[in-house]
Amino acid sequence: MFGFLKRMSAPIVLGALILLALASIVSDRSGLRRSDLPWWQGVLLEVTVPVQKAVAIPAGAVGRFWRSYLDLVDLKADNDDLRATLLELEEANLQLREALVSSGHLEQIVEMRDGFEVPMLPAAVVGLDVSPFFHSVLVDRGSEHGILAGNPVITHAGVVGVVTRTSDHAAKTMLVLDRQSAVDGVVQRSRTRGIVYGRGTGEPEFAFEARRGDVEVGDLLLTSGLGGVYPKGLKLGEVTALSDPGGGLIQVATVTPAVDFGRLEQVFIMMRRGPGMSLLYETGEFIEPPRSQAENRDEDETAALAGNEGGL
Amino acid sequence: MKVFFTLLMAGVLVLMLEGALATILPPPWCPDLRLLAVICIGLRWQGLAPGLALAYLLGSSADVLSGSLMGLHALLSMLTFLSAVFAGRQLNLKGLFPLMAFAASVSFFYGLALYAVSIFFVSGIQFVPQWLWENLLHSLVNGLFAPLVFEALTRLAVWAGADDSSERALFLETSRGPM
Repeated sequence: MFGFLKRMSAPIVLGALILLALASIVSDRSGLRRSDLPWWQGVLLEVTVPVQKAVAIPAGAVGRFWRSYLDLVDLKADNDDLRATLLELEEANLQLREALVSSGHLEQIVEMRDGFEVPMLPAAVVGLDVSPFFHSVLVDRGSEHGILAGNPVITHAGVVGVVTRTSDHAAKTMLVLDRQSAVDGVVQRSRTRGIVYGRGTGEPEFAFEARRGDVEVGDLLLTSGLGGVYPKGLKLGEVTALSDPGGGLIQVATVTPAVDFGRLEQVFIMMRRGPGMSLLYETGEFIEPPRSQAENRDEDETAALAGNEGGL
Repeated sequence: MKVFFTLLMAGVLVLMLEGALATILPPPWCPDLRLLAVICIGLRWQGLAPGLALAYLLGSSADVLSGSLMGLHALLSMLTFLSAVFAGRQLNLKGLFPLMAFAASVSFFYGLALYAVSIFFVSGIQFVPQWLWENLLHSLVNGLFAPLVFEALTRLAVWAGADDSSERALFLETSRGPM
């Protein structure tokens, strides 16, 4: 009996581990997800953050030094361009403020902004995904800081992604570049709506209805706020190319992300979780953000699309 | 047992460092050291059950530190380990070039399998030809790093007492021949 078990140990172990792996995959894809990782995975994440921080500090210094050198090469030309742009923007800003004050809307806008104010927590990116197939980052804030899976992550430049799992002092964030990412977006100029899909490359794509869509190269894409994950008006990127729709219903545009993911060091985690994420994750308190009348009106029309944002 | 835990700890540590190094050496240029460790263990280790367990644990650790589905890397790491075990028995992988070519090939198929399993479980993932090129590049980088990782892991196993333990079948053959 003992000899038989010893002989069969490898097939038994193989079978058991394959079943365990498949069960993990299936449970990860179905049903409600837990925000916090199981204890042993949490411990691994907790240990990883200080180790990666220790390595990331000198590694980051080397990277910054190299980038600084590269930046210096074009400094003069960039400076001139920026000065010219600043003058134009100052002029435009002045005109807009004048228009707002004269129409009496400025005060209302300030009040509305206060209503939408979302507390944010700064966090440092300590590591990137260990697999080139996926796009995620590890940040040094976790559930002890109030982070929940489903919290949007942004920088001053735009949308970074969404927190997918947390431990006490660390959180995994899926980037908008990831193949599993989908964000409800809107073209700033024409208000054409669509979905920004991650493709696993540096450039996501924007899929929109070909017949009704009005999208041009150079258009700025913003979050529509209708997907239930990201608030409205965050920068997603710029349209850099348009595909030929042919006879198809859906046209696709290539997007250059607003965030430079190659230089991602500091991010802000929004301490607000959208309704879509609260349906997906079982733990944590759901705080409904204030909604505008327009958002409420559009909600029914876009119920099908809304379910897509966050992850596929 | 000591060799098992030493290799496991080394694998996990390498995984953590890999994540930090990726911030300055982004994929596909950053080698997948964990995958190379699994291939090395598959080629050198003849104890099938402990090797499978080690591959599973290293794969699970990668799942935790990656944006993949939980269990995906664990499953594929075991298959990689098995393919390395069988290739080690059937093919002559002595010498630097065969070893590098084998590591690069396994890395390439690992990427394809990762894609295939992902589209099976996650709807809406589309094929991007650019990714195939990146996968090829990543596999070549892995192939280049393979001898270094194999040498380091072999030395570590010897340090942990590989010759004296029950896993003495951890044959330590590198480009310099048997040790």
